[in-house]
Amino acid sequence: MIRIGREGGRKSVFAGYHPLLNFMFFGYAVSVPIFFLHPLLLIISLASALAYSIYLGGRKAALFGLGFVLPVMLLAAAFNPLFFHRGETIIYYFYYNPITLESIIYGLCNATMIGSVILWFTCYNAIMTSDKFIYLFGRLVPAMSLIIAMALRLIPRYQAQVQRIVAARRGIGFDVSTGGYLTRVRNGGEVLSVMVTWALENGIETGDSMLARGYGLPGRTAYSNYRFDSRDRLLLASFLGLMTTDLFCLVTGTLSVQYYSRFMWENIQPFASIALVCHAAVSFLPLALELREDALWRSLRSRI
Amino acid sequence: MPGPEKRRLSNRTKVAAVLVILCIPLVIAINILFFEDRSYYITSFVIIALSMVPFALVFEGRKPQARELVVIAVLVALTVAGRTAFFMVPQFKPVVAMVIIAGASLGAESGFVVGALSAFVSNFIFGQGPWTPWQMFAFGIIGFIAGLLFYQLAASIGAPSRDGSMRPENASYLKWYDINRLGSNVRARRRVERLRILVLCVFSGTATFVLYGFLLDTAAVLMFTSGEFSWTGLVATYVSGIPMNAVHASATVCFLLLLAKPMIEKLERVKKKYGLLGAQA
Repeated sequence: MIRIGREGGRKSVFAGYHPLLNFMFFGYAVSVPIFFLHPLLLIISLASALAYSIYLGGRKAALFGLGFVLPVMLLAAAFNPLFFHRGETIIYYFYYNPITLESIIYGLCNATMIGSVILWFTCYNAIMTSDKFIYLFGRLVPAMSLIIAMALRLIPRYQAQVQRIVAARRGIGFDVSTGGYLTRVRNGGEVLSVMVTWALENGIETGDSMLARGYGLPGRTAYSNYRFDSRDRLLLASFLGLMTTDLFCLVTGTLSVQYYSRFMWENIQPFASIALVCHAAVSFLPLALELREDALWRSLRSRI
Repeated sequence: MPGPEKRRLSNRTKVAAVLVILCIPLVIAINILFFEDRSYYITSFVIIALSMVPFALVFEGRKPQARELVVIAVLVALTVAGRTAFFMVPQFKPVVAMVIIAGASLGAESGFVVGALSAFVSNFIFGQGPWTPWQMFAFGIIGFIAGLLFYQLAASIGAPSRDGSMRPENASYLKWYDINRLGSNVRARRRVERLRILVLCVFSGTATFVLYGFLLDTAAVLMFTSGEFSWTGLVATYVSGIPMNAVHASATVCFLLLLAKPMIEKLERVKKKYGLLGAQA
């Protein structure tokens, strides 16, 4: 996986919305392609995921798409026809195993699904930072989210502490960068040993400090950096409207597709096209918000 | 000291855990009845996610103390730091070794929490994905089993004899914290210590190869063939996964050989020094 984020310091607009909306969007975006394996739906998902991840990550995301997602998709597309031989249109015999058109189509659809899920997750990693996750689930699993928050904070702290231990040991003549190979390994091991002991002792001290400040008492409040403002309300309303319409149309089966034993693709009825339009609207909404903000930014700047 | 009352689970937690377990067959039934294409991936994904809920409920339900929370957070942070330190070498990671150490010296429950949260937290760095719940469950269950084998079970085997003294022949080979009860018999101590490390290594190698490899390979197959299930595909994936799983298992054993003794000694020392987590005084 890669880390993607806006270059040039400007933050993503969608990331500025309430964490609930971020989470809701990604929950929808990831689960719809998994649940409803319809070719058109999948193409919309893949296109929007690719567009948004490239918008968020730039060239790095495009390279990730080419170098990781595409091979995985090809592998997935090849996997299906090689191991599944259902379907009535046999086009080739591969070592006495029939390769059917239906399983090729199914493999392609499945590959599209996998590609869009992976790409959505790259966007998720850029938007849903750990603090947002902890904010959302802190009430539900307070102890565990506290552990997550503490562990995330401790990792950079340990990196800094290792530097200090190395410096201190250099001062008393145990430099990790000089001496023979074995000496250096031994000195490096000592650094880690000191590090772990320090980490545990320091942790106990932190725990005692927490206790002294009243951890575990009733009436605990949580720091929160998020508030649900009118902008969030508007987006929530549009998400809810579009998503429920879409899910209603999908669940009632207007957009059904049959892969075996013969690929059958239902005619686009009015309901089905509503489902597709809603799905596209939701999937492209964050990107649209970003682009609108960019346009606004450019127009304001040119006026100055 | 967690007394017997603190250890007891609240009824609400018990009911919730039972409900979650009942949910699993329900999920399977819904999938069979309503999704004719039988999406194995979704079902297994939901089951894996649900099966972690009882562990979380039990952990949250007993309101862990601040010290315990911090020690777990420290172990999670060290494990994640270990995983990031070896980011260049695929599959050669100290995560399972650290999780097993945590389970062995802090108990099954803490072992699960350290395992599952290490997977989750490290994926904030490596990237969350559809594999996250599978990794969380795999690491968690390995830590849980390590705790069962090397902490609680061992504690019941190695109970003190009737006169209260602890003779070497009563000492459990697997129980970590009673090494000092073997007295001044240095050779016996060393023998016990070696045997423990050996047992731990055999367990960790097997657990990594079989449990982690099996779970994550199954997840990959189910993802690749999301609608259906094929034995040949499964076997092909397992076979192609053997080299990677072998690397992972041997990495775990290597890291345990290096880390088990110093890490467990440090943890036992902290437990004894601060009277933590029901350590024997």
